[in-house]
Amino acid sequence: MKEETKVIYEKPIPLKNTYNAPYWDAADRHELNVQKCNTCSNYNHPPGPSCANCGSIDVFWENLGSTITGEVYTYIVSNRPFLPGFQNELPTVIAVVQLEEYPDIKIIGNVLHGNTETVSIGTKVKMVWIEATEERAIPQWVMV
Amino acid sequence: MEKIREKYAIVGVGESNRSKNSGVTPLELALEAARAALADAGLEAKDIDGFMSYSEMDSCNPHQVATYLGVRPKVVKEMFGGGSSTELLIAEAIGLIETGQANTVLIFRSMNGRSGVRMGGGGFSIDALQNGFDGGSFIIPYGAGSPGQWFGLFATRHMHLNGLTQEHLGHVCTSFYEHAQRNPKAFFYGKPLTMEEYMSTAHLSSPFTKHDYCLESDEANAIIVTSTERAKDCKSVPVKILGMAAREVVSHAHYWKNIDEVAADYVAPRLYENAGVSPEDIKVASIYDCFSWVVLRQLEAYGLVPKGEVGDFVSAGNLRMDGKLPTNTAGGMLSEGYTHGMNNVLEIVRQVRREYEGTERQVKDTELAICTGWTGPDVAGAMILCK
Repeated sequence: MKEETKVIYEKPIPLKNTYNAPYWDAADRHELNVQKCNTCSNYNHPPGPSCANCGSIDVFWENLGSTITGEVYTYIVSNRPFLPGFQNELPTVIAVVQLEEYPDIKIIGNVLHGNTETVSIGTKVKMVWIEATEERAIPQWVMV
Repeated sequence: MEKIREKYAIVGVGESNRSKNSGVTPLELALEAARAALADAGLEAKDIDGFMSYSEMDSCNPHQVATYLGVRPKVVKEMFGGGSSTELLIAEAIGLIETGQANTVLIFRSMNGRSGVRMGGGGFSIDALQNGFDGGSFIIPYGAGSPGQWFGLFATRHMHLNGLTQEHLGHVCTSFYEHAQRNPKAFFYGKPLTMEEYMSTAHLSSPFTKHDYCLESDEANAIIVTSTERAKDCKSVPVKILGMAAREVVSHAHYWKNIDEVAADYVAPRLYENAGVSPEDIKVASIYDCFSWVVLRQLEAYGLVPKGEVGDFVSAGNLRMDGKLPTNTAGGMLSEGYTHGMNNVLEIVRQVRREYEGTERQVKDTELAICTGWTGPDVAGAMILCK
């Protein structure tokens, strides 16, 4: 018998709802799925009941795959945990990342292992997925 | 809006005791503030026929306040909301009076903001945070659970693009703390802040130190709005509303979609158009200050300082009493107290009335005053006041 280390994920896990479920379902498979408008061709992130750019109800989901790169558009370095689980990962870098191939998409995440010295506006990052539970995975960023 | 220029006025302001632990309910705080505002205006409770309030599930309701003042009003309104709600409710009061549905309206904000529900410090459940925001599930799992972090994302980029530094934030803090030293009712009265001390304070969440965050206090504030005509029956000096923009929004419901715009950018042109004045005419200000950077961004948005010159403007001491634009002269939410902006409204009314005449608290030129509200980067309102 081989026993494996149990890791308990203490941080908040994204709550799926009507609008965001396709995004988080794809994340669980380590893929990025983004809502797009068929009428004006804008990406909608975060997703919603209709296009947040033109109001069209003709929206669909586009799978952008598992190779996602971008750069830090803005960020903060948090030295205090404001939510559970983050007390073990201070300082926490929270960044808005602009995707390299889809510049009108900006996604918020942590730049893992980042700090005040290593992260700044323009820092190149790539998306990785952290297993939170057996069913759930959370997209995150690491520096490239 | 032109037709209401100077037709409506704030005729009474009042506050409860301010503390970290009031030991009483928000209802009692609200009643204390309401009675103070009534006394200030020289009105009786029965003269008020509209009661309005805003809260975030942490207060009492206007019907209760009217009841325990012993009156039955024609209009009651309570709304969910924080900053900039005062401006919105004043606009609504004007609309009600203009259409003959009320004569005199009392607006209050009451909260045990320190001993009860705390805005930035765990007052809300994680589920509520994830579900409450548009896109909440895209920020909360990443540890962004505090307004300081949300607004910090705007601040980092704006400061980076406009050459603003930590020291510029420090000038906002030290200027307001300096004002608080003249205000015995300010939380930080007797606790001045030097630039040296500010610069050596660690970030809670960059670019903000604890000094860049607003306070948390238990307190209630109240203001009374009526027509300028009816104001003649009050004992107070009426402060007239020259123009206002109730509440505007940014172009997207999710406020990180475009970090380079804030609602105040949309509020400003309408505000000046309605008031018929220019930013250069403004002599004294109450600028919503939940965080220091929010002040810098609004100085730019409202055209009070040309874009790109905001840092130099605050470094030159222009927010201080003898500066070009004395701002938050009671200490603001950074150092006086915190009622989602209403305490800043009380102070600007007192400045415009020249209630501090003969003391070092009175701003020299108060002919035209601006008062701004900020719910977040996405929602804002403002008004211009005169005597």
